[in-house]
Amino acid sequence: MTSSVIAYARSLVKVYGEGPTAVRALDGVDVDLVRGELTAIMGASGSGKSTLMHCLAGLDKPTSGSVVVDGEPVSEMSERRLTKLRRTRVGFVFQAYNLVPTLTALENITLPLDIARRPVDADHLDLVVRTLGLTDRLGHRPTELSGGQQQRVACARALVARPAVVFADEPTGNLDSTSAAEVLGFLRRSVDELGQSVVMVTHDATSAGYAHRVLFLADGRVVDELREPTRAAVLETLGALTGPPRGSA
Amino acid sequence: MGRVALRGIRAHLVRFFLSVLAVALGVAFVAGTFALRTMLGSTFTDIVATTTLGDAYVRGAHEAGASTSGFGGVSRNLVPLDLVPTIEAVDGVERALPDLQGPAVLVGADGTAVQSTQAPSFAFGYDARDPALHLVAGRAPAAADEVALETATLASSGLALGDTTRVVLAGEIREVRVVGEVRLGSALAGATVVFVDTATAEALFAPDGEVASIGVYAADGVSQSDLVARLAPVVGADAQVVTGEQLRDETTAAIEQVLGFITTFLLVFAGISLFVGAFIIANTFSMWVRQRTRELALLRAVGASPLQVFTSIVLQAVVVGLVGAGVGVVAGLGLVVVLRRVLAGLGMQLTGRIPLDGFTVLVSVLIGTLVSVAAAAVPARRAALVPPVEALRDEVTVPERSLRRRAVVGIVLLVLGIGAVAWAMAAPGADAAGARLGYGAGAVVLGVLAVSPVLARAVLRVLGAVLLPLRPVGRLARGNVTRNPRRTANTAGALMIGMALVGASAVIASTAQASTSAIVSKEATADFVLRAPPSSSVPAQALDDVRALPDVRAADSFASAALRVDGSSTAVSGIDPAAVGRSIVVEDVAGSLASALAAGEIAVQRTAADDRGWALGDRVTLTGESGTRTARVGAIIDSPAFGVPVVVPADLLSDLVPAAQQVVSTVFVTVVAGAALDDVRAELTATVRPYVVVTVMDPEEFVSELADQVDQVLVILYALLGLSVVIAVLGIVNTLALSVIERTREIGLLRAVGLGRLQLASVITAESVLTAVFGTVVGLAVGVALASTLPTVFGDVGLRELAVPWSSLLAMLALAVVVGVLAAVGPGVRAARLAVLQAVSTD
Repeated sequence: MTSSVIAYARSLVKVYGEGPTAVRALDGVDVDLVRGELTAIMGASGSGKSTLMHCLAGLDKPTSGSVVVDGEPVSEMSERRLTKLRRTRVGFVFQAYNLVPTLTALENITLPLDIARRPVDADHLDLVVRTLGLTDRLGHRPTELSGGQQQRVACARALVARPAVVFADEPTGNLDSTSAAEVLGFLRRSVDELGQSVVMVTHDATSAGYAHRVLFLADGRVVDELREPTRAAVLETLGALTGPPRGSA
Repeated sequence: MGRVALRGIRAHLVRFFLSVLAVALGVAFVAGTFALRTMLGSTFTDIVATTTLGDAYVRGAHEAGASTSGFGGVSRNLVPLDLVPTIEAVDGVERALPDLQGPAVLVGADGTAVQSTQAPSFAFGYDARDPALHLVAGRAPAAADEVALETATLASSGLALGDTTRVVLAGEIREVRVVGEVRLGSALAGATVVFVDTATAEALFAPDGEVASIGVYAADGVSQSDLVARLAPVVGADAQVVTGEQLRDETTAAIEQVLGFITTFLLVFAGISLFVGAFIIANTFSMWVRQRTRELALLRAVGASPLQVFTSIVLQAVVVGLVGAGVGVVAGLGLVVVLRRVLAGLGMQLTGRIPLDGFTVLVSVLIGTLVSVAAAAVPARRAALVPPVEALRDEVTVPERSLRRRAVVGIVLLVLGIGAVAWAMAAPGADAAGARLGYGAGAVVLGVLAVSPVLARAVLRVLGAVLLPLRPVGRLARGNVTRNPRRTANTAGALMIGMALVGASAVIASTAQASTSAIVSKEATADFVLRAPPSSSVPAQALDDVRALPDVRAADSFASAALRVDGSSTAVSGIDPAAVGRSIVVEDVAGSLASALAAGEIAVQRTAADDRGWALGDRVTLTGESGTRTARVGAIIDSPAFGVPVVVPADLLSDLVPAAQQVVSTVFVTVVAGAALDDVRAELTATVRPYVVVTVMDPEEFVSELADQVDQVLVILYALLGLSVVIAVLGIVNTLALSVIERTREIGLLRAVGLGRLQLASVITAESVLTAVFGTVVGLAVGVALASTLPTVFGDVGLRELAVPWSSLLAMLALAVVVGVLAAVGPGVRAARLAVLQAVSTD
């Protein structure tokens, strides 16, 4: 395994339910996520893209197969070790409800460090906050922030602990196009300028256009891959997979 | 809509579990109280019905003081025994039986007094013609050294027929042999009953040839009213005749009155429990509504009217109330059944009737439902006002309503309350002061409850700061308890009420103890104190024996009785004039107690003089069972040691009340100069040992015994308040459990960014402890502050030394921490068990 791969999955299978009603959400997936890249995972609803990300991030246990993140065998970890992994090696950005409402923006950003009882690197924090344009919002509560600002705070939180990988689950799903562009632009910059590795699940071709690489899933398998995609190329590949491109569902 | 409501409650039964439990506990208290009342009532009316069998009764025509024996009511002047032959000579009278009875102490097989659960102990004259008495075994007592025992008394005494033992009758100790067993028609509620022969009974209990009443039994065919009409002309002006029916009704009414007091007392605590329970219900429904905002908006969007939404929530409250009340009624009755078993085990036999009646069930169910509906009304109103557009919003944001209105209402109540309390403190002593203090205290408590959300934010920010070094647990926990101050305040409010009462009780108790101690050390100069337990007396013969000891200089008894003084029943103490200065030192306000008593005059307390308008030199009329006297007020005193308003010379009291009806619970003993106290104590102990019930104490022990009595009352109060504290703790569990459900998503997020299970459980525990400590601190502060005004307001009745039991209060605070930790166990485990992925993706 070369050091350029930050996380990988081998023969990943995830089955929900049992017997005749069982659903194979992942059906033997092999992926390598490259260090210092923004990887997008795309696919139609039910293609298994979210399940793949949950398994990679240690939020869900695969039925079989293995996941290794930053050299750690995630798929074999106990809940206690997973908790520790989430604290230090992995960052998350969810679609919504990303922030703890009782904490200020700054407290939310430093929350993973607080949880891990690690000191805050003030320079790094300052860099992240400035890059995200949150400097004058740090004292605000989440309810006092716009949707875009909330997602930027979530990104800052994911990045401040310098995790091995940031997992973003439809990070712009609830945002208008301007805010979405800001957030996506930042995720890309975090990769290009800070050397961060980011994995993002999305169903939106524009979002995927910000990635270095796009993986396409269908029926629980990786069916295609694009490097340095454009929006048009993504739409074309999607169209080839599923027929005419879907709207925003 | 009804179906929606019922489905909602069935699908989320767990959420309402603690609300139902809260209603059930409160209602159980109410139902238990009523059932207890019914059971006690039927026990005592059974006793009346099976022991008061006469067709007519001849008794005194004039009322004396409140009765000190039997079932309460009023005592009357005595009637002469000579009337018996006169009555029996009347045509239509079959027989006339004088009421020969008095207090007794029976020594059981184990050498101790036979007594159960503080029930009284009597001796009766045994007359074979009395239809209430059934000789079961042996024979009737025929001589002064023979007794018969009532069946339950025989059983609990451990004696058998033929055994010899001792009894203390009318102050004299005597050796007797148990010759018979007598059954009365009903369970006697633990009373100890001894029968002696009629000649002995007359000598002991009617030494002056007078008795309280004479029971008359009619010949066949003579009605009760006929009998009364025939007897009335022969009994004289100082006696009256009533039908048996009337006497039984009067006695029953007196019993009902006493039970009414007990019931009211218990219902106050049941009411507190229900009030506290209402907080749980209100919190549950308001969280339920908050969480279902979108669903409610959807209902509105598809055409449900606000009234329908309101009704659906209220319907759920009705279900909670009905289920809770149903469980509560059963639990309450169960409690009484258990209580009856326990009491029976202690020798207190109560009636076997199952104390279930429609009234109890109806009232209990009604109360449970009303409390539930009232508590849910505010959340239901809020639910009804949810705009349909909320259904379309992506993220449901319930704006936190302003606390200004509550703050304003609370501050107004607090100002009024504090004003009333200050008024009471400024003008103490008067009857109105007590009422002002009561209303003021009520307003203060309600005011604090109203401002508590505002208070919560401020206080919890400070309390929470202690936890901040525990990052991130402290910050998260503090954020959670301050994010919805209304909810935190309601949760803590339940505990606040209980703790305010606990704090006030603790302060009152320690103030009473400190005051007693101060009074004894200031006013009592005796070397030893002889004490008889409640509902018995130090026997006169024991007193004579003690006085006969060479080392004893004096033994001064404090006899008490209820007399009619200037028309109203008043507690009176009788002491030997020589005791003043010898056994007791009293502050004279006007005149001198010593010279007044020596001159046959009476002394009154300053407060009584104020209330009743007595001045030095006034003539006062005193009426007792044996007669009426007028006496001059020769002194006005200020002495909390005499807990009674009027003090008279011992001779005067004996003229008015037969010795058997006087209660002597305390005797002060002074020793001759130079006697070794340890030796005297040994002599005294040996002297009173045969009388079984009398204990010898030095003044310190006397103080601690009085303190123990206060502690016993405190324990009862704590036990009664305990339920409301338990319900309050359930309220904390409830709020935590529901907020874990409500915050599922946030908990998932925290776990996703690495919060460990233990850390999560710690956050919830910290929230719980903060809530419990907040409620306790504010509650205790309010209770202690209000109780601290008592010495100023009620200094006149003996509460003079304010004592705040800091160590008990600190213990309460520590208890709050423990309670907080315990309350968090369930919700904490539940939260820690949430699967991260599911939690993150919950809606």
